[in-house]
Amino acid sequence: MKTEMNLEINLELNETKTYKKPLRKAIYPYLFIAPFSLLVLVFFILPAIATVGMAFTDLNASMKPHFVGLTNFKRIFSDYNLPQILGNTAVFAVLSLGISLLFALVISIATQYFLKGKMLAVVYRILWLIPSIIPSVVYVTFWKFIFDPTEGGLINKFLLNMGIISDPVSWFTKGAMAIVILATIISTISGGMILLSSAINSIPEDLYKAARVDGASEKSVIMKIILPTLKWPLMYITISDLIGFVSSYFFIMLLTQGGPMRDTTTLSLYAFQQAFNLKYYGYGAAVSLIVVFISFVLTMLLIRMFDFNQMIKPSRIED
Amino acid sequence: MTTSTLKKALAHTYMTLLTLPIIAMIVWYFLAATMNFTTGEFSLDNFSFFTEPVEYSGIKLPLIWPIVLNTIVYSLMIVAIEVGISVPTAYAFSRLDFKGKGAALKFLFLMRSFPGITLIIATFFILVKMGLVNTYLGVMLVATTGSLPGLVYIMKGFFDEVPWDIEWAAMVDGTTRFGAFKKVLVPYVLSGIGAISVFAFLGAYGEWFLFKLLIFNDDMLTLAGYLAKLVTKENQIVNYGLITAIGLFYTLPVVVFYIFTQKMFMKVNMGGAKQS
Repeated sequence: MKTEMNLEINLELNETKTYKKPLRKAIYPYLFIAPFSLLVLVFFILPAIATVGMAFTDLNASMKPHFVGLTNFKRIFSDYNLPQILGNTAVFAVLSLGISLLFALVISIATQYFLKGKMLAVVYRILWLIPSIIPSVVYVTFWKFIFDPTEGGLINKFLLNMGIISDPVSWFTKGAMAIVILATIISTISGGMILLSSAINSIPEDLYKAARVDGASEKSVIMKIILPTLKWPLMYITISDLIGFVSSYFFIMLLTQGGPMRDTTTLSLYAFQQAFNLKYYGYGAAVSLIVVFISFVLTMLLIRMFDFNQMIKPSRIED
Repeated sequence: MTTSTLKKALAHTYMTLLTLPIIAMIVWYFLAATMNFTTGEFSLDNFSFFTEPVEYSGIKLPLIWPIVLNTIVYSLMIVAIEVGISVPTAYAFSRLDFKGKGAALKFLFLMRSFPGITLIIATFFILVKMGLVNTYLGVMLVATTGSLPGLVYIMKGFFDEVPWDIEWAAMVDGTTRFGAFKKVLVPYVLSGIGAISVFAFLGAYGEWFLFKLLIFNDDMLTLAGYLAKLVTKENQIVNYGLITAIGLFYTLPVVVFYIFTQKMFMKVNMGGAKQS
């Protein structure tokens, strides 16, 4: 009986005391996000919609789009370049990811576990950061020099002096993809290294001591203590790097521009070339739609795993 | 005891071997810029780009100083715009309640991970329609939209850390919500603002792609775009001395800047921790 009364009173209170925010206060938060929202609307949402729209048109250098239905998509599936380009994309993404992850793991375990607290460990990590700090336009000149096809290139000069070859080898025609992957790996390692190092650093020292007291070998310390700690950082690096490798083509563009022939053209670069070199904007948009789709699926996966409803915290000031 | 010394020695050996290529790379940049490779003598000929316009395999590029000025002006403007937009946005996402906040935040997460570069074809078309191709405004708008989600996300982390007591105290003392934002919260997150300024600056300083795509006048380029033009002119580089000399001139300030500001990076949550 008493609780019922209470409930009724509560209900009444709620009805009479419903507080309506004055308009000025309701609008207030939107003023803060307005510039950002406007930019996102015009340069992210609108392009996203336009990409889908353009994929159904024959937009070209004349800049006058006509609706052509599914023609672009039919063309994609009959495009004789496509198998090679998909293969390139897969090779580039998988090899770059696997090797850079492995190296990031080795470097972080070496510097944060075996050489923990050593001055040199910090030096190693700073040196490994350098390839990612150096602006990419400068970074690629080093690789161009190493694999330069004339006698001036580092490897050619070395091999010529050793007498192993008699004529300079044109490395970029032989193994352009390998060079692109190598350059990409060296500059990607540092990103993973930072995350993995800080994760290893957060393992309490006592855990290692306890393991040693129990007679654990280094191998089991790494397998049973360090690697399980790294599970989520590794997952994060894997997906976000994969997104990067599938969608971006900056190094490839600077190093080989997709050549020789189409040996280093990945799907995203192919879309770019179709649009900006050949001015087939419509067809380029259709190709890039595949990249958008792959990136979108990976992004959703990342968000599902890492982002975090609990980060949305309500305001603790009522107004 | 001896086994652990052995292990350490082994780890040092491996790390040194692994790091050698990077040391070689750094040494090469300095050597290539300051040495005449045919005679093997030290020379500063490559640095003549300070006083005369660069001519490189058939293309003539303008004198470097206006380009340097462009770079500084562009980078500082990007810093001002991106900080000016991301600080209030992060504040609203962290501390205010509004309808659609949850959805907006989710969208922010999505944008942070989603590569905006895949939409560049449509973005280009929109810029053409708006008449913003070959203008700094166009480059800035696209660049800003690309880097804002990351900066807002970082900045939100800093605002989340501010204790509510501070804001309550300010409001009890009679200031408005906006007054509290301006006088209490912003000074409190200055280190965060410093960090995102550094990020914004480094991003703008390294931007070559948008300049290559959207800017057609050579005298409007920044250093990154200028170098990108030289590097991609031919399939192989003809004059390493010149390019490494300009590259050093362009890179050294950034590396020094990075060393002095890297403390700020340590405070930033780069992601990767499972939070839920």
